[in-house]
Amino acid sequence: MIKYKNLVKSFGTRTVLKGIDLHIKAGEIVFILGTSGTGKSVLLKNTVGLLRPDSGEIWIDGENVSGYSEEQFLSIRKKCGMVFQHPALFDSLTIYENIAYGLRKHFSMAENEIERRVEQALSLVNLDNILSKRPGEISYGMQKRVSLARTVVLQPKVLLFDEPTTGLDPVTTNSINTLIQSLSRKLNTTSMVVSHDMQCALKIADHIVVLDQGQVVDQGTPKQLLESEVPLVRDFLEEARNQ
Amino acid sequence: MIGVVPRFFYRLGQIMMFLGDVLKTLWHRPCRLELVLEQVWYVTLQSFPTTAMAGFFVGGIMTVQFAMQVNEFGAAAYLGGLSTSATFREVGPMLIAFMLSGKVGAFTSAELGTMKVTEQIDAIRCLGADPIQEVILPRFLGIIISSFFLLTGGLMLSVVGGATLGVLFAGINPQEYVRHIPTIMGWPSILSGIVKCLSYALVLATICTYMGYFTTGGAKGVGRAVVSTSVLTMVTIVVFDWGTSFLGQLMLSWFAIG
Repeated sequence: MIKYKNLVKSFGTRTVLKGIDLHIKAGEIVFILGTSGTGKSVLLKNTVGLLRPDSGEIWIDGENVSGYSEEQFLSIRKKCGMVFQHPALFDSLTIYENIAYGLRKHFSMAENEIERRVEQALSLVNLDNILSKRPGEISYGMQKRVSLARTVVLQPKVLLFDEPTTGLDPVTTNSINTLIQSLSRKLNTTSMVVSHDMQCALKIADHIVVLDQGQVVDQGTPKQLLESEVPLVRDFLEEARNQ
Repeated sequence: MIGVVPRFFYRLGQIMMFLGDVLKTLWHRPCRLELVLEQVWYVTLQSFPTTAMAGFFVGGIMTVQFAMQVNEFGAAAYLGGLSTSATFREVGPMLIAFMLSGKVGAFTSAELGTMKVTEQIDAIRCLGADPIQEVILPRFLGIIISSFFLLTGGLMLSVVGGATLGVLFAGINPQEYVRHIPTIMGWPSILSGIVKCLSYALVLATICTYMGYFTTGGAKGVGRAVVSTSVLTMVTIVVFDWGTSFLGQLMLSWFAIG
């Protein structure tokens, strides 16, 4: 589904991604783990063209998107929905308008169809009766769910999550992680989740990739990762055991 | 110190490229008119009291200052014309534009900067829209239109302020004050004021939207963007003031008008 070939990205003199080679299979839930500043979010942003790689290739659904223009990326962004670290909802719009925003921009759709899709997306993230509210009137956890609904309403083939549980309490974190798993299975999407949470990765991921200093240091199924001898993976596992 | 000049030209180049992008978007994919009108309404409503007060007192200050000089030479009759002309040509547009940069400029760069650091701008791109068209263009046009009206409105009030404060604190005869305004203040002064208002509005709109759109580094970055907007706008306005005054004088001497 998604292939990264020798992907390199620098900011000034600092090289963040140092030749990433990775293959994400269709329908999998893949967790990208790593310490802060190791290039996890940069990898996701390169995937949807919010950042452009210095060299290397990104293949999505058989298309090499590395040299795509902003216009060409529109079709890729329909296919790959991204959920950001912040809820990134538009303060001046109601929840309904926030969720409908992408539908209005990407498709020409009748208003009753938009309404139906918005309500369906909201129920997928277990929310209701908030359509007329503004983002400031609901809790941060609910904003995260609305942000997820805004992405899944476009029915993308790939869901990219950039640290979806940052800043949330353990109960909400658990419910968001469960939601990621159930949505991915229900909608049959490929999901890439950038996270620090090894415990959650072991629970719901099909495949785990560990990045360190811009390189893949280990990857495999949760079972394989439990046997890993890589020090960083051992640290993550140790941390997960202590939680 | 060595890096200051290249950095200045690098920044200048970036701002010009950004302005080019905004104008290109305006030409190819204009934004919805209601979004622009919303911004015009919001900015005008938010800033009218400030600019009105600034305009009123700038006119008053100029009159009181000139009153001392003209009385000394027995030329009190020309006070209205002198004060109004100086306010329209130089001090009025600049001081009111400073006020606007502190209010509209800071607000806009903070708003856009927050949208940038909370990934709302990235979300707009991911949802299939162009942030320049959706977010920047309405604000850019809204600020230009409303700043122009606010600046010209402020200048009108500076005449009222000059006359009122002159009568109250400098013992000026109001009829005499008004009578000589057309004698000294011709079309060149009015035109100069209008050109300055337009150019300052463009400077303000460009710098605050640019600073907001390219904000990086979280809350601290938003703070930096707001400060940079105020400083850069004020410095650029002073440079533009010199430029437009110089060009105005040059044109006056060429066409021998005024």
